[in-house]
Amino acid sequence: MKKLILLLLVLVAVNQLNAQKLKIKGSDTVLPLTQKEAEEYMKKNAGASLMVTGGGSGVGIAALLNGTTDIAQSSRRLKLDEKIKLQDAGKAFKETIIAYDALAVIVNPSNKVTQLTREQLESIFTGKITNWKEVGGDDQKMVVYSRETSSGTYEFFKEHVLKGKNFASSALLMPATGAIVQSVSQTKGSIGYVGLAYLEKEVKPLKVSFDKGKTFVSPTVETAKSKTYPITRPLFYYYLVSIEKTVSPFINYILSPVGQVLVLKSGYVPLK
Amino acid sequence: MKKINIYALLTFLAFFSLVSRSNAQQTTNDSLVQTIQLLEVDHDNTKTDIELIKRLKISGYIQAQWQMADTAGAVTPYSGGAFPIATDNRFSVRRGRVKFAYENEFSNFVLQIDATEKGVSLKDAYIAVKDPWAQFVTLTAGVFNRPFGYEITYSSTVRESPERARIFQNLFPGERDLGAMITLQQKKGSRFDWIKLDAGVFNGNGINPESDTKKDFIGHLYFTKANKSETFKFGGGISYYNGGVFQGTKFVYTPGEVLDVTQPGLIDSTASNKNSFAKREYIGFDAQFSVQSPIGITSVRAEYIQGQQPAAKSVNASISTGTLSNYDTYIRKVSGGYVYLIQGIGQTKNQLVLKYDWLDPNTKVSGADIVSKSSAGKSTGLGVADIKFTTIGIGWNYRFNSQVKLMAYYEIVKNESTGLSTVGLNRTLDTSKDLKDNVFTLRVQYKF
Repeated sequence: MKKLILLLLVLVAVNQLNAQKLKIKGSDTVLPLTQKEAEEYMKKNAGASLMVTGGGSGVGIAALLNGTTDIAQSSRRLKLDEKIKLQDAGKAFKETIIAYDALAVIVNPSNKVTQLTREQLESIFTGKITNWKEVGGDDQKMVVYSRETSSGTYEFFKEHVLKGKNFASSALLMPATGAIVQSVSQTKGSIGYVGLAYLEKEVKPLKVSFDKGKTFVSPTVETAKSKTYPITRPLFYYYLVSIEKTVSPFINYILSPVGQVLVLKSGYVPLK
Repeated sequence: MKKINIYALLTFLAFFSLVSRSNAQQTTNDSLVQTIQLLEVDHDNTKTDIELIKRLKISGYIQAQWQMADTAGAVTPYSGGAFPIATDNRFSVRRGRVKFAYENEFSNFVLQIDATEKGVSLKDAYIAVKDPWAQFVTLTAGVFNRPFGYEITYSSTVRESPERARIFQNLFPGERDLGAMITLQQKKGSRFDWIKLDAGVFNGNGINPESDTKKDFIGHLYFTKANKSETFKFGGGISYYNGGVFQGTKFVYTPGEVLDVTQPGLIDSTASNKNSFAKREYIGFDAQFSVQSPIGITSVRAEYIQGQQPAAKSVNASISTGTLSNYDTYIRKVSGGYVYLIQGIGQTKNQLVLKYDWLDPNTKVSGADIVSKSSAGKSTGLGVADIKFTTIGIGWNYRFNSQVKLMAYYEIVKNESTGLSTVGLNRTLDTSKDLKDNVFTLRVQYKF
């Protein structure tokens, strides 16, 4: 009888150990993907419990530093300062690319402009061009929307599209990608940028050219996958080596063929 | 008739029951709505309370250490204090800090206390207010770090060596001063957010009460940049200090300026010297560089400072007291600095440190020229306070986690060989040769 009770206790303990309770925090760009992956994962793993929240890449990485998240989801790589802080805290980390994303430049559907070059985008977002008539549109003042500085999307767009130049001081910084979509859909003359997964019919994505206007490409999963669309980037998970065994089952699930199908269905670009 | 009455009665009872149940249900629903509304109010109140509590941040750290010196009674003022005459090793709490910070969006309050076996002392007590419009100007007032150079503001919790360089401990004992400072820096994401200017006026008296009419200016212009992929970053700055030190007597010496004259070093003894001010002036340059490579993160940091230091005959450090001095003033040309090489070992918890620092408190004289009497038998005004020291530090840091850090650090301290046979500084020292003042420090730090 004692042996039986002992066996039951061991089984309960093992079951508890196997029950995954993961906290995932960070990039708003990665958020919808992680949420869908987590939902499916929990359906298939009854004991698993995943709590997914956004806030921006910087917020997720800060949470990884102070130990309040197991996985930091990020749309940019770790900065050197963040690596130094992790090192100072004795925390060895690992980086995994889970998918790719394309950034779409969006305008209000009433805007007749359909395409822009990188140089034009740079001029618009840095404040050199302030009226749509300067790029073939109506005589209408531009309203520029951007993400906040803690956002990995903000930093990627700044580096990749603005070539490191600063956003115009008149740019309106929004706390979440959803807020940009909503604002652009409601404001004539507005322009912003969002991850492909956030595209809705209430906003109009523009074709962009990174070869000085020779070819313009639409932001789609197909063009991103074929690498013809120029504003694409990897999406990352960061976690501590010390909890690798705990987070691996979920990460392996995302990297599996089933998980990558979900990547595609969610509007992101699969790894292969 | 009876049947009808019975049916009527039953119908009435059924109806009454339904109405009662409906009323009861309505009452229950109303009660639930009321409860939910109360819970919502409670939730909002709790949320507001938590938001307020979250503004108050309490942090701190303790550095407990064991030190072993070359010899009993080693004079190691820049390695956590001199050893007692009969002691060559000791346990001590080098720092025991608790910091309270209350942060609002555009202002914050900071109070930091240091508690060790030597007593309890104030470290920080300041308020900082940022302009809410452009978020470009910040005003700080109270007791806080002097804005000079890089290492002063580099926290002791993350510094890779046990102590700051000798030059900083010498010119800025305790690092803090009482004053008011303006910081100019554009908010993150702006065009020039990588440049920062700190400039302020201070008592110039450490954390002691002001004792004279003179205020000192301190400024630091600093920049930091990184490459696009953030695999390396670099920064640099220039600092300036312009202040005055009260002259308690009419005798003002510049030891080492002139030798072999009737009264060497004595430049002025006019009556007006007394109660006037000697110029205290430094200029400093700092540079930092960090790069990531397969072997780990490598950092190099360096600073150089030179200037004019008014102090006393046997003390070259800035003298901080709450009272006016009554001693002769000795003005020396000072220079010093440090170079760090810090190497992380891959992504392990280990870090290696090599540090070289030096302090030449009187650049006008060196080595055997430092004598107490000239060949003419006159006093030179030179002494222990004019000796140059260099330190090579070799260290290993092991970061167990974000709270606990272990540090093992050995300092090889060299002094220039002077012409002074023996000098007294609470004990007799023979500075004609290298003093036995190397120190090994084993430190454990816990922070929260």
